[in-house]
Parts: sequence; structure tokens; C-alpha cells
Amino acid sequence: MKGISKRFGGIHALRGVDLQLRRGEIMGIVGDNGAGKSTLMKILSGAYVADEGEIYIDGQKAHIRNPQDAFNLGIGMIYQDLALFNNLDVARNIFVGRECSHGPFGLLLDKKRMYQKAEDLIRELRVDISSPRLNVALMSGGQRQMVACARAIAFQSKILIMDEPTAALGVTEAGKLLSLIRNLRDMGLAILLITQRIPDVLAIADRVFVLKGGQRQDVLVVGKVTLDDVVTMIVRGKDRNGVQLSAVEYQSFG
Amino acid sequence: MKPMSKINLSGLKKYTIMLVLVGLMALFSLTSPYFLTLRNITNIINQNTYFIIVAVGLSFVMIGGGIDLSVGYQMSLVGVVTAMMMVIYHLPVWLAVVLGLLLGTVLGLLNGLIVARIKVFPLIATLATSVIFQGISYLISQARTFRNYPEEFLFFTKGKVLGMPFDVFLTLLIVILACFVYYETIFGLRLMALGGNEEASRLAGINTRRMKIAVYAICGFLVAIATMVMISKANTTHSSFGPGTEFTALTAAIVGGISFMGGEGNVPALVAGVFVLAVLGNGMQLAGWGTYPQFIVRGVILLGAVAFDEYQRNVRRTRQK
Repeated sequence: MKGISKRFGGIHALRGVDLQLRRGEIMGIVGDNGAGKSTLMKILSGAYVADEGEIYIDGQKAHIRNPQDAFNLGIGMIYQDLALFNNLDVARNIFVGRECSHGPFGLLLDKKRMYQKAEDLIRELRVDISSPRLNVALMSGGQRQMVACARAIAFQSKILIMDEPTAALGVTEAGKLLSLIRNLRDMGLAILLITQRIPDVLAIADRVFVLKGGQRQDVLVVGKVTLDDVVTMIVRGKDRNGVQLSAVEYQSFG
Repeated sequence: MKPMSKINLSGLKKYTIMLVLVGLMALFSLTSPYFLTLRNITNIINQNTYFIIVAVGLSFVMIGGGIDLSVGYQMSLVGVVTAMMMVIYHLPVWLAVVLGLLLGTVLGLLNGLIVARIKVFPLIATLATSVIFQGISYLISQARTFRNYPEEFLFFTKGKVLGMPFDVFLTLLIVILACFVYYETIFGLRLMALGGNEEASRLAGINTRRMKIAVYAICGFLVAIATMVMISKANTTHSSFGPGTEFTALTAAIVGGISFMGGEGNVPALVAGVFVLAVLGNGMQLAGWGTYPQFIVRGVILLGAVAFDEYQRNVRRTRQK
């Protein structure tokens, strides 16, 4: 993503943000509330359209105007509120919008294939869901997160964006999810992980992208930085010359 | 997951309405010896075909998360226009019917465009169009009554197909088709999704605007079919024919488990919903309770059904937490 800017009325949510993601890596996206993390990711997933900037995938310029465009380019996103359908079962949640079809003009729902594929997917992800016929309304937060995950990767995604996936989960469920994210990376996906839980990022990410006030601050390599470094960067940011702002300057800004 | 969690709440509601229907029939067969006769039951079925068709039409809109209060005056307008084409302008029956169905579809399309494009709240949008349709209907008809239809037109109710009246056959066909659309087609699944979570549907790449317009148009088309049955049955038309149907159809839909908030519902229960109201009306009439108490009972039923729907929603929300 190159030079991405987005305004909402008078608010400048993103200013010329550059982000480069490599295949098979997990990149943490961190920043304070309102830093522009979700907005940046929603532009990549087609939920918003950028005012300025360009997106390249495998060196090719990509035009993402809506979620369908992003989907066609192999970008899947798991939203913070999961965007699930409480009135539908697991398989229908996974496939709605990209159904298995058959019959004249592909108008009919191929339920047999849909449930079979859903079952395979659940097995492949090794998640704790006993049947694709279960209604998601009756599931735990962790299970719902798994359904959203299955939905995002069911269609040979190249890039998976996850918005605060562990926020609503207990310790055990969050642990399970993090190991699932690692599995997905090992399967070759590039993963963008928005989160406020910095320890999670340091535990599984390869690099950390820091946003502040809608601007890119830096990309930190996990292993070379400490938790404190990341937090300091989130709070203070960097000046235009790439030098981390001092505590005095930070205080003078209030 | 424990097996308990496999219980489907909407399934439970489906059987509840069937039980209510059977219970009511049992009750009224005790209060009147005429109730449970073949003649009376046939009568109830015959009198309610067009209500079922309207309710099925409305179910498409409601499952998609909308509402259409204008179906009554759509019937009024389609009715007088179709009748005038046959009686005053002497158009061939088939042409009048085709134009009438087209008009109904256009009226529905108009509702859909207002809701999806201008983004007016469906309740208000269709309340407004309802009054507009009423005005146009009376302007065109000059409040006259039209009768003496060509004999062919009466085929809708007097004709027989497979040994049953044509309107009963037509209703059965529409019910089966609607079931098929809901359970077997991609459109049906997307409609459930739209009613369940509109924003998630958009993010799933569904063209929600087009879907909304489509369901109102389908509703308009089915309402127009119901209008043909209604005016053929009455063998006369006036602009006051049709209004009121929306209340019955809406109540039947909600009693039949179609959620007021969208995303849920099934056609067999909807049909049972229509019959619950019909049996109630018929039974109360035979028991000598007159018409006016029926209004009160219907209102109470609508309130009760909406409250039950809301209660189930709360139960589900609590379980989720």
C-alpha cells in the first residue's frame, strides 16, 4: 500500500501511509485508539475506498472499490464484530456471498457440497466445532472467531486481515486462536493482525507496523525490540526525520 | 457443544403455531357443531387463498429485514386498474391481467427504490406510498364500483385444476415455489443473510441494494396475483377493496414466526399463521361473538406474537453471552 490517505469529513484518518507486506509473514498493526489501524485495513479489504494512494499485489496495481474486489484479489478480513449471521448455521456463514451453486444459471444452492466443504475446512483448521450445521448464535466467542476465520480463508486467500481477534476471548481461547494464526502463516498466508494486546503481537508476529495519528511511524522487527520499545513508539511516535521523540517533547505536546 | 444447543428456536416456533392451530380447531369444534364440517373447512380455505399469497409476498420483504404497509392499497390500485381495463376499455382478459401484474410489480419496485436508494425507513416509506396509492386508486376509479367481468376472468376462482379451484391450486403452487426459493436457492440464502445482518451481507459482497429492490418487486408481483383472486372472488371491484389485507398478512406472518426484525421465517408456518387468524374469525362468528370482538382479538394476537418474537430474541442474546 503506497501513500494511502483517507478523510472522514474534517478528520484526517490516514495521511500518506505506506505499508509493505511479505508473503508468509504475520505483521502486527498497532497504535492507539483512533490511530487509523482499522481504517487502513478496511481500505485493503474494500469496506472503504481510499481518497489517495495505490495498492499493489504481487507487483500488480490493484483496484479495490468494494469487498468483492478485495475478495477476488485474495484478501479476506475478519472484522472486530466478526460480521457473522446469527440466524444462519456454520456452513451458511462460511459460504454466504460465495455459495456453492449448481442447476440452471447456477441459481441453486449446492447444499451437499457446501456442508462437505465446511466440514473439511473445520477439520483442516483443527477447530473446536462439532458440526457445520450448528447455529452460530449459540456458540462461544472463540468458536465464533473460528467460524469467521474459516470464512475468511475458505477461498484461497493470500492475505488475511484480522481486527482485534483476541479482544473478546478468554486466555485459553486466545491461545488457541494464536496457534491457529501461526498455522495459517505456515500454510503460506500473509497475515495482518490489528491488536491492542502488544504481548500477543510479540508472541506471534514477524514485524510490527506502528501507526499514530493516521501516520506511519515505523516498522519494528520482532526479536530486536522489547515490549517497552513498541509501547513507547505507539505513545510518542517518531518525528519526520525518523528520530523517536523525546519525553520532554512528548510532554510539551501534552 | 452439548446436544441441547442443537434445538432450533425458529423450529420450536414453527411447531408452536401448528399446535395453536390444532388447539383452536378443537376448541371451536366444541363451541359450534358446524365448525368442523367439510363445508366450513373448505370455506375457510377458499376464503383465505389471497391472504396467503399476500402473506407470502410480504414474507420476502420481512425476511429481508423490511416491511411493506402499502400492500393493501397496492391491491386497491391494481384491482381498479385491472377491472377498468376489462370492463370500461374492453381489453382482452389476458392483457388486462398481464398489465395488472406488471403494475403491481412496478408499485413494489417503487417501494424498493425508495427504501434502497433514498434510504427511507421502510415503515414510513411504505406508509407514505400506501396513501399515495390510495389517492391514485380513488382518482382513477372516481369511487365507482366495477362489475360484470368477462367470464374468462372468473376462471381465477371458478376454474378447476387437478380437481381443485384454480385459486387454491395457484396458492399451493406459490407456497411450494416460495419454499423452494427460501431453502434451495442462493437468492433465498442471501435474503436470510440480508435480514440477519445487513452490514455483514454487504461485506460478504452481496449487492444489498439490489436485493432489497428485488424483494419489494417480488412482493408487488405476488400482491397483484392476490388482487386478481380477490376481485375475481368478489366479482366486483371498488377502491376500498384490499386495504386491511396488510394487517391480516402482517399479523399472520408474525404469528407464523417471520421475525419482525428480519432473517427468520418459514412458509409452512406462515400459512398456518393465516389459518390461525381465519379459524379464529370463523369460529368466533359461528359461536355468535360477532365481528367487533374479532378486531380486539386480532390486535391482541399481533401484540402477543411480536412480544413472543422479542422474547425469543432476548433469550438467544442472553445465551450468547
